[in-house]
Amino acid sequence: MVEEALILQDIHIDDFLTIFVSAGLVLVFGGFYVGIYTAVKAELLKPWIMPFAYIAWLCTAYCLYLMGSLMHVNDFTAKTLVVAGLSLLLIPHAVYYMLRRVHEENEYIHEENEEYVHEENEQHVQAKNEH
Amino acid sequence: MANNYLTSESKKLATWYFTFAAILFGAQLLFGLVAAIQYVMPGFLFEILDFSVARTVHINALVIWMVFAMMGSVYWLLPDETGIETVGIGLGKLFYWVFVAAIVVVVLVYLFVQVGPADQTTIWFIMEGREYLEAPRWADIGIVVVVLGFIYNLYATGMKGKRTGIVTVLMADMLAFAGIYLAGMGYTDNISVDQFWWWWVIHLWVEATWEVFVGAIAAYGLIHMIGAHRKVVEMWLWIEVAMLFGSGILGIGHHYFWIGTPEYWWEIGALFSALEPLPLVAMFIHVLYDWGKQQGAQEAQGKEVSVVTNKPAFTWFVLQAFGNFLGAGVWGFFHTFPQVNLYTHGTQFTSAHGHLAFFGAYATILIGMFYIAVQNKNGIKVMKATKKSIWATCMIFGGVLGMTVALTLAGYVQVLVSRAQMGATWAGYFDGQAGIWFAQGMDWRLIMGVVTFIGFIILIKDLLSIGSATHHER
Ligand code: HEM
Ligand code: HEM
Ligand SMILES: [Fe+2]
Repeated sequence: MVEEALILQDIHIDDFLTIFVSAGLVLVFGGFYVGIYTAVKAELLKPWIMPFAYIAWLCTAYCLYLMGSLMHVNDFTAKTLVVAGLSLLLIPHAVYYMLRRVHEENEYIHEENEEYVHEENEQHVQAKNEH
Repeated sequence: MANNYLTSESKKLATWYFTFAAILFGAQLLFGLVAAIQYVMPGFLFEILDFSVARTVHINALVIWMVFAMMGSVYWLLPDETGIETVGIGLGKLFYWVFVAAIVVVVLVYLFVQVGPADQTTIWFIMEGREYLEAPRWADIGIVVVVLGFIYNLYATGMKGKRTGIVTVLMADMLAFAGIYLAGMGYTDNISVDQFWWWWVIHLWVEATWEVFVGAIAAYGLIHMIGAHRKVVEMWLWIEVAMLFGSGILGIGHHYFWIGTPEYWWEIGALFSALEPLPLVAMFIHVLYDWGKQQGAQEAQGKEVSVVTNKPAFTWFVLQAFGNFLGAGVWGFFHTFPQVNLYTHGTQFTSAHGHLAFFGAYATILIGMFYIAVQNKNGIKVMKATKKSIWATCMIFGGVLGMTVALTLAGYVQVLVSRAQMGATWAGYFDGQAGIWFAQGMDWRLIMGVVTFIGFIILIKDLLSIGSATHHER
């Protein structure tokens, strides 16, 4: 097992371009996925666009697969790639979940204590001017 | 820059730091140009200012100007965040001059003494020879003292004033930042051990502590330039901190593939560094999200004006989010698996990534801080862009992007010829660089470097003159 991991299989010379391009596209599609997801949740984009986020994620997953297989990754690294792909899928959901909770809390505070917030800001400016 | 509206001593000190940082930035670019010319005309300044010397000055000036600008940024935001004047500002000023003097002496020694007898005197007085951190030992010790003073000021102020999330993150992060520097100060004649510790400084700086630093600065910028809600921004910041440290610390394994460290680093490096781009994606989306949200809220109130109170600075902050994602994220991911790194290691590919990452992640946001300082120094409420600031931004960003593309193509040729076809042999090394693609890559790097440099000159002119333009809201 260990011996196996020590040997790197040669990469075929015609495969380098595909490897670099797909490695680059992993993050480009990944960015699209997270971006579209976030924009829909933030109501900057319409909800019907959401499936495109997941399509982008599928493209990411395919690029990871393509890149990994042409690179001849070993078993461990293959698992790594799966973990990376799944983390990418899950993270926006987790972040959005937390963000929504903070936003709710914050908007609540904001409405209730609108004046307080303003006051704090003014004090802040004053404090700055006093120096 | 006629009027000085700054009343806070801490902010005044920050502008000193920014000024010296900008000067060193210029020096960095000049020596980069010398080194780039030497790739195209190998005889240029031969035995007067060799490539080795030009390169040393180029990359050490890079690190030092960023450290100056980072310390300046902390002195800048402390009064805003804590609500009090920075504690120990006199010490800060004294140490500023000590630091400047030490750097000037080190650079003069690099330029005029250049080499030593290769024994202990070289290490103590000329250079230590660890890429990016080549300052001789006396200066190393000086830097530690200066940074201790800085940390003291930060902690004393943070403990006395209001401690926001941003200040808390900075306090922890700056301590780690300073502590890690110590890892690069020892001496050993075992090259594997030496490299092992050297990477602690380089990697754990740029891929952990510096990233967290820019996360905190971006948070500050979003609150102050577009009025984002502190609670939301600080929650993002904590998420980013967790993701950055979670992936970045063990991601160091991607430098331990070929330096004589055990093989298990292959797997550790591959796993954790493959996760490193995730927080960078998050940071990118965060900036756009907050911006869209604030602008949307503004427009919902029927106001069509921009929420941004400092256009040039905010532009650089957005470019930072993008450049970090591109340079560190995409270009980093390209070569972070050992299977591919075997071929790309030490080609121009590495250099392409190094340029776009350092520039995209750090130079951008620090230039943004320069503009924030200029705005406040001139008592401007809403600072708009000028023709110069637009030209400077386009030329600098376009120039570095152009250099990166040229270097990537040159690196690709090296991967194919020197590595894949000729198997990393002596002959392969030279053949890989003899072809027309490589040569043209070097030509284009030089041309785009000149574009970058002209952009820099315009940037400096703009920083010196934008404050007196009449179209801002005061
Ligand atoms: C802003 C953050 C970053 C900066 C400033 C940066 C900068 C650099 C620099 C200057 C080098 C060359 C070091 C040398 O002289 O040998 C380097 C190497 C490397 N970087 Fe980054 N980097 C960043 C983030 C990343 C990320 C996120 C990844 C991975 C996803 C990454 C992967 C690598 C790898 C694998 C190498 C080794 C290349 C080799 O020697 O073969 N970097 N980085
Ligand atoms: C006028 C523009 C510039 C030119 C002409 C230039 C040129 C060069 C050259 C010739 C090298 C040596 C490469 C080698 O050893 O093969 C180098 C290294 C480097 N430069 Fe620049 N540079 C410029 C701007 C910048 C900027 C703006 C940054 C970052 C903010 C930067 C960061 C670096 C880094 C990190 C390295 C070390 C890369 C490595 O070893 O992998 N340079 N540069
Ligand atoms: Fe690294």
